[in-house]
Amino acid sequence: MKSKTAKRPIEILIVDDNPGDVRLTVEALKAGKVQNKLHTAHDGVEALSFLRRKGEYADAPLPDLILLDLNMPRMNGSQLLAEVKEDSALKHIPVIILTGSRDINDVVKTQNLHADWYVTKPIDLEQFTRAVKSIIDFWLTTVKLQTEER
Amino acid sequence: MNQMLKMDQQIAKSEVMAREIKQSRELFRILFYRSPIGTYIIQDGHLRLVNRQFAYILGYEEDELIGRPSLSFVLPEDRDAVRENAVSMLKGGSSLGYEFRVVNKQAKIKWVMETVVPIYYRRKRATLGSLIDVTERKQMEERLKQITDEMQRSNTELEQFAYVISHDLQEPLRMVSSYTQLLAKRYSKKLDADADEFIAYAVDGAKRMQTLLHDLLDYSRVGTRGKPFSLVNCEHIVEQAMANLKIAIEECGASVSYDVLPTIMGDEGQLVRLFQNLIGNAIKFRREEAPQVNISAQRRNNTVTFSVKDNGIGIDPQHSQSIFEIFRRLHTKEEYQGTGMGLAICKKIVDRHGGHISVQSQPGQGSTFYFSVDMAGGEAE
Repeated sequence: MKSKTAKRPIEILIVDDNPGDVRLTVEALKAGKVQNKLHTAHDGVEALSFLRRKGEYADAPLPDLILLDLNMPRMNGSQLLAEVKEDSALKHIPVIILTGSRDINDVVKTQNLHADWYVTKPIDLEQFTRAVKSIIDFWLTTVKLQTEER
Repeated sequence: MNQMLKMDQQIAKSEVMAREIKQSRELFRILFYRSPIGTYIIQDGHLRLVNRQFAYILGYEEDELIGRPSLSFVLPEDRDAVRENAVSMLKGGSSLGYEFRVVNKQAKIKWVMETVVPIYYRRKRATLGSLIDVTERKQMEERLKQITDEMQRSNTELEQFAYVISHDLQEPLRMVSSYTQLLAKRYSKKLDADADEFIAYAVDGAKRMQTLLHDLLDYSRVGTRGKPFSLVNCEHIVEQAMANLKIAIEECGASVSYDVLPTIMGDEGQLVRLFQNLIGNAIKFRREEAPQVNISAQRRNNTVTFSVKDNGIGIDPQHSQSIFEIFRRLHTKEEYQGTGMGLAICKKIVDRHGGHISVQSQPGQGSTFYFSVDMAGGEAE
């Protein structure tokens, strides 16, 4: 069972309006060993269309993992998280808040919204690479747990 | 003979009485009419007797006031309150230092302070009042309040400003920092030596600026993101601070001890930060020998004064004030790392706890930092 899940590339949806951050995540994922497919949405509205396969996203795969920025135009990260966690078709997807904000208030709000994890976008590139690696590990553990539950 | 003597005695007696009456009238005139306090009697809502000072406060002659309704001189907005105060005075016996506004003959508004007591005047109930002009004091209070409000507002604005810029500048700076680091990682040794050097400076500059912004953000947070005060045991606080410094303490073999410390009202997180910064400094600015740090507390009245004493390199007394300013450093970044924000944060935390921070030190002879905390636990505005 484990080997079966590991063979398929991880489908990751990154929701972030800053292309610089998206590219950094791409670079960090390259350094990781797990195969992945990265999809990008620039704000909450776009992400929700992707997740609900609306319009141009009709053929989009359901992601295994969502990396979510908090501070975005139109629908921000907190709002999107609330939508996802209230949607029975989506709420099983682990959501990881990945944000530049160190503000503790954001953390508290996010915890109320049941984000699965909270990662501060690190100052240091090495730290960032490590953080992305730990996200992948987190995903593998989650998948393993879910597989065992079934 | 006997009759004559009796008459003489009576004449003498009435002369004494007359003199006494004259004297007491004079005394009354002095005490009442020359009194520097406005004095008056009100009966059935009308002024029956007024002295010169009372008339002077209102800008009238004394005889212009007799028989006038007393409330007619009170500023219309204040009349209800003055009337209510008079009623409660009649029930309670007296009223001390009640303040309201009057309008004088020249239509100028003045603040007065009135004290009234119920009396009998010509066998009927009446009110004896005294009045002082407090306009100047009121104006000064008003001005002081304006200045205080203004200062508080600009202080809050400044804190918000510092918070917003340090917070919002992090985002673009993170881009600069991350990508210069990525450049360094991918392309160092692949371009020429100049390129390597330029990239290294860019990486270093971006990192330092991030640290500065981070510390500035922490500093502004003391004011804007503080927690409400609660009872905290300072021995637990020091233990937490020491746990946070565990690696630094172990690395240099420092011994940190503390005496019996009290329980006080304060912001737990900030107090941990305060002790952590002070103990951290004591270890950082050490001499060759292993650092020794002792923390003690002394209580006097409603104030506890803590001391953090070390055997480090000490500080020249001429810097004993300036070290608490933001971004103040006494050493180059090659000698000691840091942004010079630690003690400024300490001072801000101590200020918020209604206390004062200071240092006593001589170069080469260790330093003792003192800070006080208000036991009553009132958060300083």
